[in-house]
Amino acid sequence: MQRRDFVRCSMALGTALALPRARAQTRTAVPASLAPNPAEFRKAMADFIGKAKPLETGLKLDLPVLADNPSAVPVHVTVTLPLSDTLYCKELILLAEQNPSPLACRFQFTPYTGTAEAAARLRLSQSQTVHALARLSDGRVLAARQAITVAASGCGM
Amino acid sequence: MAVKPPRVWVSSVKPARGEVVRVRAQIEHLMESGLRVDPAGNPRPRNIVRSFEARLGPQLIFRWEPGIGIAQNPYIEFTFLARESGELLMLWTDEANATQEARKTITLS
Repeated sequence: MQRRDFVRCSMALGTALALPRARAQTRTAVPASLAPNPAEFRKAMADFIGKAKPLETGLKLDLPVLADNPSAVPVHVTVTLPLSDTLYCKELILLAEQNPSPLACRFQFTPYTGTAEAAARLRLSQSQTVHALARLSDGRVLAARQAITVAASGCGM
Repeated sequence: MAVKPPRVWVSSVKPARGEVVRVRAQIEHLMESGLRVDPAGNPRPRNIVRSFEARLGPQLIFRWEPGIGIAQNPYIEFTFLARESGELLMLWTDEANATQEARKTITLS
């Protein structure tokens, strides 16, 4: 009985000593540069939209509601409008509102593509809204967005 | 850059005219964001894949410019409309100008 108490006591003491140290180490490993950059996000949005008025139709953004692995979040975008040789999607961007670098990626299509669909995997630093913007060859801009909950930061990985 | 060749999957290499062909491709790349530090606390220099291009014969059909918000070992999926036969050439370039490429022959059936 005495031995059991001793083991229990020393285990509790051991974890108490070890845990704060481990926590302090992980905290120092995350640089301060993971903070969101709202100014850059607004600039990226404004640069892409220009003078057009974004339409909330014709663009399908597909991503999970909960990111179980924030260092690889599957995102799928499709322009659902009927496309032709004369009407095609020129450019499509993905923006992660709260990421340190909000412009996640840029897709470009040509008249030879014939479709406008792409998928990639994002790293997300925190729970946020993911935006997709598409520019068509006739100047229309399509917009879609979805909120996503992130379990832990993916950018430091 | 990685030693392993790119992994590429194409829904059909013998599509009918007008069929939508889906391509999935992935390479091994660290996509070092420049935000990480090594154990000594020094930042690791940024090096991400800066462009991916897919051409069918001479025509550019798809281009992708990843940012640092793209996961490591970048995965890309895109579709195109099969209108002519040709070689589908996929080319990845990173910020150190290292390249990787993959080829698939597309023949209209």
